[in-house]
Amino acid sequence: MKKSDIRQELVNLGSGAHVLAFQILGNSDDAADAVHDAFAKVLARPGAFDFRRGPLKPWFLRVVRNRCFDLLRHRRVSDPAIEELADPALQPDHRLEIQQRDEQLHRALSGISGDQRQILVLRDYLDLSYAELASVLQIAPGTVMSRLHRARLALKEVLNENGE
Amino acid sequence: MKTGNKATGGSGHVGALISGYLDGELTQQQRQSVDVHLADCAECSDRLAELEALRKRVSGARLSRVGDDVWREQMNDMTVKVSRGIGWLLFLGGLLLIGGFGIYQFVIDTSVEPLFKLMVSAVYLGLGALFVSVLRQRLVERKTDKYKNVEI
Repeated sequence: MKKSDIRQELVNLGSGAHVLAFQILGNSDDAADAVHDAFAKVLARPGAFDFRRGPLKPWFLRVVRNRCFDLLRHRRVSDPAIEELADPALQPDHRLEIQQRDEQLHRALSGISGDQRQILVLRDYLDLSYAELASVLQIAPGTVMSRLHRARLALKEVLNENGE
Repeated sequence: MKTGNKATGGSGHVGALISGYLDGELTQQQRQSVDVHLADCAECSDRLAELEALRKRVSGARLSRVGDDVWREQMNDMTVKVSRGIGWLLFLGGLLLIGGFGIYQFVIDTSVEPLFKLMVSAVYLGLGALFVSVLRQRLVERKTDKYKNVEI
């Protein structure tokens, strides 16, 4: 894979990686820093990514996740509280009703554990396969389905509790 | 009909298999067993519909307010930084080589009086010491200036 292709793919992965980092770090600015650091790390050593071993997406998300945990270790926090979305102003291309639903979902996500948020975002938001989930989360492939299922049930429960 | 309780996740029915079913991650055999169960079990059919709606909601949500432009800009900034770094490295490396060669030629040149060599060396050493001193002061200020992030 050419370096310019990797750059373009990294740009495309930026927003998704930011969502994952946000679910781990609980803060939009810290999440952006983590993604930025991961970009820098990948660009400094593009040879570290071996495309024969799989696509860039799960590999890059693992780099981002590891960077998030480095930052958390530095802050000595394991599962931080999730802050409100950084910019509560209405997006021009986003209708109010949809935006409110997204904010409800965002609040509900903050009501489940960090591990559950990660697996949900990786599967349902970033569309990773179970094998990729196991690779990013560094867990046994056989446990992915049950963990994901528990996370979905937990999110559904929080949404129900919040009357949404 | 109830299926095996291996991956029930507490539902007592198909449990976690329903998530695998939803995601298309089951083996053909597992899929068939869930199909058979769903045909008979309204509770699991409802759960499947709920989880499908939940998955759609998460996948269609906007969970980040940071757009692609920001990442593109960051990537460009990094490219500029890297190319600028390489530029500086080449420039300073070349400068050091030329400077070193010049000093060497000056030192071995027998046509120049030793006293003159000493005076010229003193001038350049003095300039070098001043440069290092100012650079050191700037670096210390940069590290300790608490107002460095204030935009004017």
